[in-house]
Amino acid sequence: MSAFLQQMINGLSIGSVYALMAVGYSLVYSIMNFSNFAHGGVIMIGAYMGFFLMTALELPFAVAFVLAAIGAGLLAVSLERIAYRPLRKRNAPFLYFIISAMGASIFLENIVVATIGPTFRTYPKVFSSTPFQFGQISVGRLDAIMFLISGISLMMLVYIIEKTKTGMAIKSTAYSIRASTLMGVNTDRIIFIVFGLGGVLAGIAGVLFGMKYTVYPQIGFITMKSFIAAVFGGLGSLPGAVIGSILLGVIETLTAGYFSSQYRDLIAFILLIAVLIWRPSGLMGKITEDKA
Amino acid sequence: MGWYYIQGILILSGIYLMAVLGLSLLTGFTGLFSFGHAGFMAVGAYTTAAMTIKFNVPFILALLIGGLAAALVSLVIGKLTLNLKGDYFCIATLGFGEAIRLILDNVQYFGGARGWPGIPLKTGLMNVIIFNVIAVVILVNLIKSRHGRNLQAIREEEMASQIIGINVFKYKMISLAISAAYAGIAGGMLAHYTGFLQPKMFQLIKSTELTIMVIFGGLGSISGSIIGAIVLTSLPEVLRAFDRWRLVVYGASVIFIMITRPQGLMGGYEITITNIKKLISRITSLGKKKHTIGGDN
Amino acid sequence: MSTILALKNVTKQFGGLTAVGDMCFDVKKDSISGLIGPNGAGKTTIFNLITGIYNVTEGEILFEGNRVDGLQPYQIADTGITRTFQNIRLFKKLTTYENILTACHYNTDYSILDAVIRNKKFRTGEKKLHQQVQELLEIMELTDRKDAVASNLPYGLQRRLEIARALALKPKLLLLDEPAAGMNPDETIRLMNLIKEVRDRFNLTVLVIEHHMDLIMGICDKIVVLNFGKKLAEGTTQEIQSNSKVIEAYLGEEDVIC
Repeated sequence: MSAFLQQMINGLSIGSVYALMAVGYSLVYSIMNFSNFAHGGVIMIGAYMGFFLMTALELPFAVAFVLAAIGAGLLAVSLERIAYRPLRKRNAPFLYFIISAMGASIFLENIVVATIGPTFRTYPKVFSSTPFQFGQISVGRLDAIMFLISGISLMMLVYIIEKTKTGMAIKSTAYSIRASTLMGVNTDRIIFIVFGLGGVLAGIAGVLFGMKYTVYPQIGFITMKSFIAAVFGGLGSLPGAVIGSILLGVIETLTAGYFSSQYRDLIAFILLIAVLIWRPSGLMGKITEDKA
Repeated sequence: MGWYYIQGILILSGIYLMAVLGLSLLTGFTGLFSFGHAGFMAVGAYTTAAMTIKFNVPFILALLIGGLAAALVSLVIGKLTLNLKGDYFCIATLGFGEAIRLILDNVQYFGGARGWPGIPLKTGLMNVIIFNVIAVVILVNLIKSRHGRNLQAIREEEMASQIIGINVFKYKMISLAISAAYAGIAGGMLAHYTGFLQPKMFQLIKSTELTIMVIFGGLGSISGSIIGAIVLTSLPEVLRAFDRWRLVVYGASVIFIMITRPQGLMGGYEITITNIKKLISRITSLGKKKHTIGGDN
Repeated sequence: MSTILALKNVTKQFGGLTAVGDMCFDVKKDSISGLIGPNGAGKTTIFNLITGIYNVTEGEILFEGNRVDGLQPYQIADTGITRTFQNIRLFKKLTTYENILTACHYNTDYSILDAVIRNKKFRTGEKKLHQQVQELLEIMELTDRKDAVASNLPYGLQRRLEIARALALKPKLLLLDEPAAGMNPDETIRLMNLIKEVRDRFNLTVLVIEHHMDLIMGICDKIVVLNFGKKLAEGTTQEIQSNSKVIEAYLGEEDVIC
C-alpha cells in the first residue's frame, strides 16, 4: 500500500510539471485552434537558459529561475511574431500553423545541437537530496518543490485569467476571436499575452524538468507527452489540461512501477488514441456540431 | 562527386518520392493531413524485410506485401479515426505513428530498439525508377477519374460532397489506404537500401518531413510533389558539408516557405505538355506584344 | 397526385432548445412547394433533417413511402433527394465544368481498377459523363463560363451552378435553400422561370425556401408557413395570403387590428 502511495506522489509531482507545459498548448489552442508544436522547443530553451545562468554566470537559483522564465516568455512571443503572425494575417488553414510550428521546433532543437552540442548536461545541485519523511512514505525534496512551484504558477495563471480584465479578454477571444475584435478587444495584444504566459510557464517547466532529469536538445520530445495530456483533458480547456496532466503523470509512474518503464511512453500514446476514439474532445472539451 | 554518390542520392530521393506520392494523394487531393506516415513506412519496411529474410519471398513480391500490410494497418486506423474532425485526425495519426515505433522498439524478433542488421541490399536505381513510374501512372489515372474527382470534392467541401452522394468516409478510407500502401512500399525499399532497420529511423520528424515535401511542391500537384521530394531529399545530402547547420537551415526554410509561399512551388498546377505549350505561347506572344509597342514608338 | 415526401411529427432539439417541433407536412409529387417563415423559424433545419445532415430527435421522414431519417446524407442522395445551400457550397477551387462533372459520378460505375488501367469501360463511362455535363451547361446557360473557377463566378451564377450540380444527380426531389438570395428582381424572375422549366424537363419535385414573396407566390402550388419551429399554416398561395395568423406573424399584431 505504501509503495502504491509512493508511486502516486511521484506521479503527482511529474504530472504537475506536465500541467505547466500542457496549459501552454491549451492556451494557444483555445485562441488560435492549432497545436503549437514549437512549445517543446521553448521549454527546452528555458531549461538551457536556467542551466547556463546557474553554471556559466553562477547566479543563484532564484534569479536564474526567474530570468529563464522571462527569457522563455520572450522567445515564445517572438516566435509568434515570426512564424505565426504572417499566417494569421492571411487566415491560413490550421495545417500551415502546425507545419510552421514543426519548422520552428526543428530550428530550435538543431540550433542548440549546432551551437551548444548534443551532450546531456546536469543541473548543479540546488536542493539537498535527503527526502522528507512522512511515516513510511518519503517524498523527494525536489519532487515536493516541483509540485509546489507548479501549483503556485498555475494558481497565478488562474488568477490572471479569472480576476483581471486581460483575463476576461483572453476568455472572450477564446470564445470567438471575431466577435471579440468587434467588441474592441485588441486580439494582437491578447495573442501576444497568451504566448507570453505560455512561454513563461514553459520556462519554469523547463528549469524544473532540467533539475529533475538532465538537459539535452531532444527534451522537446518529452514535452510531447504534455501535449498528449492537453488532448486528454480536452484541447483548449485549462482545467482539462491540468487534470489530464496529473492523470497522465500518475498513469505513467504506475506503469513504470508495476510493469516496465519501457512501456511508459507507449502507454501515453495508446492513451492518446483511446481518448480520441472514445471522446475526441477530451475530458473537458466541447463537442461541436457542423452547421449547414 | 562520383557517380556512386549521385546514384545514392537518386535512390534515396526515389524512395522518399514513393512515400510523398502517397501522401500527396491524401493531403494534396483529399485534404487530410497525416503525421503518421513514418509509421506506415515502418510497417512496410519491417514486413518487407521479414518476408525476404525469414520467408525467402522474392523482393518485388515482398515489397507489395509490405505495401499491403501498411494499407491494412491504415484501414484499422482509418476505421477508428477518420470520422474525427481535421486537426483531431491529424493528432490521432501522430499518436499511431509514434505508437507503431514504440511497439517496434519492444519487438525483439526484429531486433527491438537496437536495430536489425544484415538486410540484403536489393534496392537499386533501376527498380526504384520503375516502381516510381508505375506509381505516378496509377496516381494520375486515379486522380483523373470519377474516383479522383470525388476525393477532390471532399477536399473542397465535405458537406456538399455528401449531398451529391459521395460516401465521404469510404473515399477517405480508400485514399488513406492507397497512401499508406505507397508509404509501405517506400519503407520496404528503404530497408533493402540501407540494409539496416531501427525504429528510430521512423520518428515523428520523418512524417513531418514527408508532409513538408508535399507542401513545398504545392498541394494538389503531382509534379510539385515529385520536385518537392527530389529537391528536399537531395538538398540536405548535398549540404552534408555544413552538417551541423543543415537542419537549422531546414527548419528556418520551412517557416520561410509557410509565411512567404504557402501554396508551394507549383501552387496546384501540373507540368504537362499542354501546360508547357500554353506557357511557351504566352511568352512568345508577350514578346510579340512588346515588339509592336516598340514599333509604334 | 401521390405524396413523395412526408414529415410525420418531426422534432429536432439542440440541447434544450427545440428548433423544430412536431412538424407534419406532405409534399406532392411533381409539385413546387414553398417553405416560408421569419428568420430562425426552422426552415433550413428542416432541410438539414431531410438531407440527413442533422439526425431527427423524434418523428419520421418518409420519401416515396420509405423511411429516410437515420440514413447518412450520401445514402439519402442515393434515394434521389439533393439540395442547394443558403450559404453557397460549391467546390470553390474547381471550374464550373469540374463542379458539374464531379456530381455526375452516379451515371457511370467503372471501378478504381478500371480507372487505373484505362480500359474500355472507363473510357465509355467518362464519355457519357462529359456528354451529360455539356447538356447541363447548356440548359443552365453556363457554357460560356465552363472554365471559370467557381469562386470567381458572380453570385447569381454561383447559385445557378449549384442548381446545375444538384441536377447532375438526376434527383427526384430538389430542395432549394433561398435560391434568389442576393438577386435583383430581374434575375429573380429569370430564376423563377428556370425552376419551372427544370421541374418540367426533369420530372422533379421542388421544395423551396425563399424570402422573395414574388417568387414564392409566383411558382408554388402549396406553401407551408413556419414560425418558431412550429407549423403556422399550410395551403395554396391564396389561402396563405388571406390567413390572419400568417399576416400576424409577418406584420405584427397591431397591423391586423388596424
